Amino acid sequence: MTEENQKGREHPLSILAEEAYGIFSKLGFEIVIGPEIESDWYNFDVLNVPKDHPARDMQDTFWIKTLPDAFAQDFLLRNVNRSQKHTGSVVLRTHTTGVTAWAIEKAGKEGKLPCAFISIGKVFRNEATDVTHEMQFFQIDGMMVGENISLADLKGVLTHFYKKMLGNKVEIEFRPSFFPFTEPSIEVFAKWKGKWLEMMGAGMLHPSVLRNVGLDPKKYQGFAFGGGLDRIAMIKWGIPDVRLFYQGDLRLNQF
Amino acid sequence: MKISYNWLKWYVPEAPEAEKLADIFTYHVAEVESLEKLPNGDFVFDIKILPSRAHDLLSHHGVAREIASLLNITYKDPEPMYKVPNPTPTKLKIEIKTDKCRRYMGRIVRNIKVGPSPEWVVKHLESIEQRSINNIVDAANLTMFDCGQPVHCFDLDKIYLRTVLGNSKKDSPLLIIREAKEEEQMTTLDNKEVKLNSSDIVIADPDQVLAIAGVKGGKIAEVDMNTKNIIIEVANFDPTSVRKTAKSVSIFTDAVKRYENDLSPELCSFAMKEMTGLLVDVACPERPEEVKWEEIVDIYPQKQKEKKLSFSFDKISKVLGIPVSVEEIEDILKRYVFKYVYKDGIFEIEVPPMRQDLAIEEDMAEEIGRILGYKKIEPKIPKIDFKPRVSNTYAKIIWAREKLLAEGYSEVMTYTFADKGKVEVMESASDKKFLRTNLSDGLKESLKLNKLNSPLMSMDEIKIFEIGAVFKKDGEEINVAYNEKDKIIEKNLNEFCRDMPSNFKLEPRSYNLKTKFKMWSLFPFIARDVAVWVPEGVTSLEVMKVIKENVGELVIRDPELFDEFKKDGKVSYAFRIVFQSHERTLTDLEVNEVMNKITEKIKENKDWQVR
Repeated sequence: MTEENQKGREHPLSILAEEAYGIFSKLGFEIVIGPEIESDWYNFDVLNVPKDHPARDMQDTFWIKTLPDAFAQDFLLRNVNRSQKHTGSVVLRTHTTGVTAWAIEKAGKEGKLPCAFISIGKVFRNEATDVTHEMQFFQIDGMMVGENISLADLKGVLTHFYKKMLGNKVEIEFRPSFFPFTEPSIEVFAKWKGKWLEMMGAGMLHPSVLRNVGLDPKKYQGFAFGGGLDRIAMIKWGIPDVRLFYQGDLRLNQF
Repeated sequence: MKISYNWLKWYVPEAPEAEKLADIFTYHVAEVESLEKLPNGDFVFDIKILPSRAHDLLSHHGVAREIASLLNITYKDPEPMYKVPNPTPTKLKIEIKTDKCRRYMGRIVRNIKVGPSPEWVVKHLESIEQRSINNIVDAANLTMFDCGQPVHCFDLDKIYLRTVLGNSKKDSPLLIIREAKEEEQMTTLDNKEVKLNSSDIVIADPDQVLAIAGVKGGKIAEVDMNTKNIIIEVANFDPTSVRKTAKSVSIFTDAVKRYENDLSPELCSFAMKEMTGLLVDVACPERPEEVKWEEIVDIYPQKQKEKKLSFSFDKISKVLGIPVSVEEIEDILKRYVFKYVYKDGIFEIEVPPMRQDLAIEEDMAEEIGRILGYKKIEPKIPKIDFKPRVSNTYAKIIWAREKLLAEGYSEVMTYTFADKGKVEVMESASDKKFLRTNLSDGLKESLKLNKLNSPLMSMDEIKIFEIGAVFKKDGEEINVAYNEKDKIIEKNLNEFCRDMPSNFKLEPRSYNLKTKFKMWSLFPFIARDVAVWVPEGVTSLEVMKVIKENVGELVIRDPELFDEFKKDGKVSYAFRIVFQSHERTLTDLEVNEVMNKITEKIKENKDWQVR
């Protein structure tokens, strides 16, 4: 009856993240991992979210009060190869979109275009928690840039992804939306058990974003998407409360 | 934004029925969050207007215009129906002393009568959950919800009194739009004391602040039941300035919501016309000749520039990934009443003043895409010439996780926020304002929790780990932590992965993804042990069977055999039984009853004894 030497059980979000990385890797995306503390440049400005703009209200941000000196130095060192434009304000990243944007910037500098990146990581929102809201959760974020990448490619990639994640019967639908970093912007819905569910935000990269990462929007275009991994887990397995993921309770590890 | 169906129908009489309209809106404009049928037969839509269209769609006119163009049906322009009274000369003076006010229109109206609004006004307002106050305030609100332009009214005589005391010329009221002085104060209409500073813009008479520009009116010049003479304000303010002031005084009104989204100053003249027309109907309908409509004073220092936008016909198809013809584009431009010229594959359009969201080629791709419908886009898998690199960090995380899983450790995730640490966040919805400096503290708690629950999970030993970011005084790093009995060991990921083979490759693993999650009970459990002596030859399964048959509904899992030994021709089997309910806290009493029953049943077997 002893379970010694038996394999341990993985956290459901790790399972999904590995699945998702696997799916996107097969489609030719490169995995990138970035820091959880991010400059306001990569979290906002580079993504065409100006200061004092209603768009900044779309996400409740945790701003960092002060960083210890050594931390700030380390942060600057890590950012030395990145854009010099950041103003010194730092945040807990509200999405992993900044990570993929930085990857595109680097690929552009190295002449590695077209390119595609996928990043899954912990993000933070300063809001009251309930069964569907948590101050920390996982986001999956991808971008692809090339000369002819279109909304049809985005639809193809996401349809493939959700069919793999939720089963072949899943249908995908685009609805109009708004994000400062995409134009056109769309909301991605998936039909799951007869109901349309909001899955992620997406769209074609806004030319300002392309310019901000050093690309010529006359020549290049691309798509970006981002959404919660926790949400996929909740839908897929019927997990009733997002807060269960972070309780450290092993009863969660059922898969 | 709440939109009344009956109200909309004034402008788009051919609109389809409410439910169909809600669908059309969701797929082509913005999400309809709810559609509610009102007792009076009207429907009210709650539409999540997108920030990019908030400058024109936070209004019934805007929504009606959008529907008319989208569905190619008639838009009934109400403007020709507004009554235009004959104006009399005015001595109203308006001075704009800041570049944050892009336009200010004022009009004095004398001898009006404050009273209740007519029924249709009350109905309109109530349909979108607005309270009727009086005919003057209602007319201003109605104008805003109708055309999107905020309107404010001052009681002229209250301003007048102040200017007399302040030694201003008695017969020429003066409104000044200026920066507030440091620490300048105002009491709002809803009696809130507000302290202002020089980055806030105010409307003032020569003595005192009358209103915070674009945010809220002041008590001092409030229209009340005795008001006879008013100044109508229809103005346009800098969106960023309004937004900053609203934030700093924590007042978020319907006016703020509109101004911060960059209204067109061109809208002012329309709104003044509508407000005047409404007042003609509601402000003194029985003796209209007594009401004096003074001339409109219109100060418009920053005239909205006419904008042109060029886009190539190619680009639209290239962005959307579907072929779109010149004819389709022309049809859309005509329906949306955009003036345009088309030459050599390039469209040049005159951007209507109310559609300032259209600035670049990609905006037109979105406009055309959403109007045609994104359903038209056929999915396609892109093939690109790109050689992805392997992420070292990710490879290490996977290696570390696999190593620990193989050693029997299970993975947990705990909170990044902590009571103490080196990095602090500014404001937080939680009482934990620091970021964790280690994983150990969280893991310790997790260990405690899982140990308590171990009878529920039939685990002899709790073995857990976490991999995650920590925030130390010298930077952010990824750590790995796991327990050895009660001891927590925590290492930096790189250090943990020192023995990782250089040829480690990421292999996709397969999981049983079909399993359905089973929620556990949030109520406490009770664990009981029972040990039974039976003659040699009786298997544990036979004993288990008796227990299972009599244990009832309240057990959370199969009894667990945790001990077994032989002595003098007899065998002892010890079982652990765990009771837990999904609905309530169990009592010792009811568990004792079940245990007694099991004991009785066991004793019914020959030579079986409960120890």
